[in-house]
Amino acid sequence: MSERAAQRKALSKGLDRLNERMVTLAELSELAIRKAMDSLARRDPVLAQEVMLLDREIYALQVEVEGACADLIALHAPVARDLRTVTTSLKITTDLDRIGRYGRDIAEITLQMVGRGGEPVSLPPRLREMADLTIEMVDTATDAFVKRYADTVRDIMIVDDKVDALHQENFRDLVGRMASGAVDVETGARYLYVNRYLERVADHAVNIGERVVYMVTGERPKPPADQG
Amino acid sequence: MDQILEAPSPSIEAGSRTTIESRSLSIWYGKKQAIEEVSLSIPRLRITAVIGPSGCGKSTYLRAINRMNDTIRGCRIAGQLLVDGEDIYAPGVDPVLLRRKVGLIFQKPNPFPKSIYDNVAFGVRLHYRATRAELDAVVEGALRHANLWVEVKDRLKESALGLSGGQQQRLCIARALAIDPEVLLMDEPCSALDPIATAKIEDLMFELKRSMTIVIVTHNMQQAARVADNTAFLYLGKLVEYGATRQLFERPRNELTENYITGRFG
Repeated sequence: MSERAAQRKALSKGLDRLNERMVTLAELSELAIRKAMDSLARRDPVLAQEVMLLDREIYALQVEVEGACADLIALHAPVARDLRTVTTSLKITTDLDRIGRYGRDIAEITLQMVGRGGEPVSLPPRLREMADLTIEMVDTATDAFVKRYADTVRDIMIVDDKVDALHQENFRDLVGRMASGAVDVETGARYLYVNRYLERVADHAVNIGERVVYMVTGERPKPPADQG
Repeated sequence: MDQILEAPSPSIEAGSRTTIESRSLSIWYGKKQAIEEVSLSIPRLRITAVIGPSGCGKSTYLRAINRMNDTIRGCRIAGQLLVDGEDIYAPGVDPVLLRRKVGLIFQKPNPFPKSIYDNVAFGVRLHYRATRAELDAVVEGALRHANLWVEVKDRLKESALGLSGGQQQRLCIARALAIDPEVLLMDEPCSALDPIATAKIEDLMFELKRSMTIVIVTHNMQQAARVADNTAFLYLGKLVEYGATRQLFERPRNELTENYITGRFG
């Protein structure tokens, strides 16, 4: 085997291992946000605790991925698509870790609500809809990464606009219900947090989508005109 | 082969004047075609790397620029190769005068079995009439320019063959610099050198490009990435892609380039 072929084989093996870790990381992050919302909807402390555990696993895996990326750069000096795969993985891990962290934040709210006791207040319907859309975005983004498929990223942007609109609607709705006394202030305030967290998770999904486009095509998607 | 591009990339910086230009250049060794219609504009005062797998024609292309292939029997050329706008294969062009303007550094250092001084003075004596004092000044200048002066100034009369490989290669560069060329062609100049000697040659290239145009053939992709402003990728005698080095290594436009630089073949 020539030296170049041997180098390629070693790099390919390293990239395969990186990809396996990234796929696991993506699955865990999506699972964290999904379970967090379920724990909130069902006031389920056991599920909330599972999210805490997931968050720790996600963080450990993120650290592992960072190390793997540094090794690949130091030992193999990847170029072109290989280089974009490594740098994109490095960036996406941060987004995935943040998604996991928001999952934990939501799970904490579940535990706080369970701890307060009293009559459970059902999840505002728009918040449930927003959570479903957000999870769908994370799913599309991570799937685009796993399959190296950039075409679905446009769908993520469209769904993100809906999430942003729901974020505003939820805010107004919750404030109105808190003012009228339909929802007590503390519960309403916690839902406002959840509303905000979901909107941030959706933004991270958009980030992942944009980075997948760069990884696959080498081109960075242009920001929408209104954002300059 | 329809993946192979004919035109150079627009990413080559505009406005930098071209020193070397090939227009549909083809070269044959007997019946075997080594270069096929390569059109390439090499800008002045820049380092341009030519990369590609063994046998892709990169050395043939480089050697055509100072007509080194003339000496090979059965070598035939078609198309045009311009240096400073002049067709160097036009009738009446003296290859010896061309080589004064276009120096060539080989893969293996090839000092003459003479003293260090005489190696550097060789070309000057061949092309010019110079007094001893003038010659001394040229030799010192060329050795300084090649970052070798400090290492050899006290043993100029000793045989060049006693120098290390890296020093010999810098001596060959000094020998080329002594006749003040405008272009320096380097054919895998570091492949016989250790990493420290390689680093010295690369540092030297950065200094030299202030005053001359450099074209380097290398099979070492990382070297091309380190030193070259622009890079051309040749495959099976054809120009596949040519562009700014950064673009070629980060976002190659051609699948063949991508596969070659990532080590999937070659």
